[in-house]
Amino acid sequence: MSRIKSNLPRVLGTVAAVTLSAMIGGQAVAQEIAIGAVVPSSGPFAEWGRSNTVTLKMLEQQTNDAGGINGAKLKITILDDAAKPAQAASSLRKLAGDEKVLAVAGPLTSSAAEVTFPVANEMKVVSTSQASSKPGVAKLNRPWAFRNTIDEGVLAKTTVPFYKKAFNIKTVAVIFDAKDATASTVGKVIMPAVLKANDIIIANENDLLSFNTGDLDVSAQVTKLKALNPDGVVVSADYSQAITVLREMKRQGLIKPVVGATQLISSAILKAAPEIPVIAPATFYATMTGPAPEKFTATLTPLLRKESGLPKDIEPSMYDANIYEIVSMYIDAIKKTGVTGKPADLEADRTKIRDHLAKLEGFAGLGGPIGFNDDGDAIKAFYVLQGQNGAWDTKVKGCSSAPGHPAC
Amino acid sequence: MLIQQLVNGLTLGAVYTLLALSFSLVMGILGILNLAIAELFMIGGYLGFTLIQAGFPLPVAVLAGMTGAAVIAIVIEKVGYQPLRDAPLVTPMLSTLGFSIILQNIATNIWGSDPLQLPIYGDQYTLGPVNIGEMQLLVLGATVVLVALVAYIVQKTPMGRALRAVAENREVARILGVSADRLTMLAFILSGSLAGVAGVLIALHYGAITPYLGVEIGLKAIAVMVIGGTRQIWGALVAGPLIGIAEVLTVAYGGSQVRDFVVYGFMILILLLRPQGLLGGARSDQGQRV
Repeated sequence: MSRIKSNLPRVLGTVAAVTLSAMIGGQAVAQEIAIGAVVPSSGPFAEWGRSNTVTLKMLEQQTNDAGGINGAKLKITILDDAAKPAQAASSLRKLAGDEKVLAVAGPLTSSAAEVTFPVANEMKVVSTSQASSKPGVAKLNRPWAFRNTIDEGVLAKTTVPFYKKAFNIKTVAVIFDAKDATASTVGKVIMPAVLKANDIIIANENDLLSFNTGDLDVSAQVTKLKALNPDGVVVSADYSQAITVLREMKRQGLIKPVVGATQLISSAILKAAPEIPVIAPATFYATMTGPAPEKFTATLTPLLRKESGLPKDIEPSMYDANIYEIVSMYIDAIKKTGVTGKPADLEADRTKIRDHLAKLEGFAGLGGPIGFNDDGDAIKAFYVLQGQNGAWDTKVKGCSSAPGHPAC
Repeated sequence: MLIQQLVNGLTLGAVYTLLALSFSLVMGILGILNLAIAELFMIGGYLGFTLIQAGFPLPVAVLAGMTGAAVIAIVIEKVGYQPLRDAPLVTPMLSTLGFSIILQNIATNIWGSDPLQLPIYGDQYTLGPVNIGEMQLLVLGATVVLVALVAYIVQKTPMGRALRAVAENREVARILGVSADRLTMLAFILSGSLAGVAGVLIALHYGAITPYLGVEIGLKAIAVMVIGGTRQIWGALVAGPLIGIAEVLTVAYGGSQVRDFVVYGFMILILLLRPQGLLGGARSDQGQRV
């Protein structure tokens, strides 16, 4: 008791000094830093949403084990949108309005982003999609909307020339998922334009083939593709739907190289028809080499494989890497711009994060440096991959900005 | 290409027929649309798929798919239909919709949302311009046999006669000594078993399965049931291939984007002009509107 008494003035003095210094510097921070995430943990993209959830929990633990953010604990609140646009928008509204998060990671799909980004603008909170790549979705919703992805139009300009050269492609036929916003835009607009620019003839230019998300039978479409006898096939669909097309191509003996967008990248598609080469771009893939991606994959893979409802042989996806980078960029912004996380500073804190992202250059991402362009889309390196016989192989490295940019 | 497309259309039609038959067994007898049938089809498919992956032979997989779906059908009848039997028709239908969503969630939690894939099951044959697989032939053959079997049960056996009596007038059938409750359960079991068998065969034919397998096919099967006639067992056998062929020919010679317009447009036309369905006799033969 006497020792406490004798130390009391010194303790009180220290507390007062720390408090005063923090108040003068404006650096006092809340006990907890709240970030939100909107992922599809149920519905057709549940696999991506569930692995995103495991990724975010891993990042939350890593951050807190390392002492938190400026001494405050990181708390990531994750809501399920079931890949439904209306549910995504209401999830963001709940995170920004009720949970008072500083920024939101997600939503995943372009369809959800198209509806959610206007809400992010209305509520003045940053929302960064981990997978949306339909052209112009963030551009229409500046200044609060961002995407840690590259516009599919930019990617196709590097992917298609490689595809043409590698397989001596002169003609292709196109098939796309008409119910998927990104797949539909890539199949109907982006690919036809880029193919024509590369002097590749589209055998079904006036009758592009389509199917609907969830269709199991695409035999009629594949029979028609086969009758066109193209050198290659453009499959614009998310990988789980593209698997149906590839399996039917194999069943009907249509063994032709396939090209598509980032949506094709997955380990599952490699099992659908291993003899059919699949060409697609990616900003990350599980077998990527380098200290950062290798460490990320090695840490995350066992956690994913322990999670129920995920395949036993699952590997981190490009979208896991993207969402990990998104929250890491938010943490970077909070640390560097004096975000306090206090309720009274909420609006100012959100603005600081937005401004930091808008000016960001050379953030150390898993696949290389990241920045954002004026449209809110990521400037980062990407790779054109060839999937065949069960493995993805890097063929070309590209960048979503002109050479010389720090992110390239 | 035309012959191959006709084969594609017949196979697709067989898929619709099998599921339409499951729908019409409950619809024709009880007058309710059991929306969970599409998910029984999916669960049956998963059970069969899992056993084939584990190395079991096809008959065991079919039996497991059939039994699993039948057991769930019993639960649906006990929990989702029986307590609501006297409620307005839409109430048990909504209850089965609830079951449908629950089953989809259960499948997503057990098997994940990614497609499960198997190597193409059975041999493939090339006959001139036509490519046809062993599973495709099995689906076509099984459809004809199952439709004939269900038609025989419903039309020729004492159980079938009792089922039809309940369908005609539940109270009168009860007065005549027919146990309406037992027969209602039987209709659910038969319908679930059929959906389970269809699920196994179709999942193996396509070699891939997802928890959302039932939704698209289920809606088309309802259209097939309406077109064939909700109370006509043979109606599904006529309407299934008709819709299957119309669908593939629309893709082949029209445009894949108007495919659903053709199928559902035809269904609406039938509802307007011939509500009893193509094989329905008198206008009074139409099923109850739900």
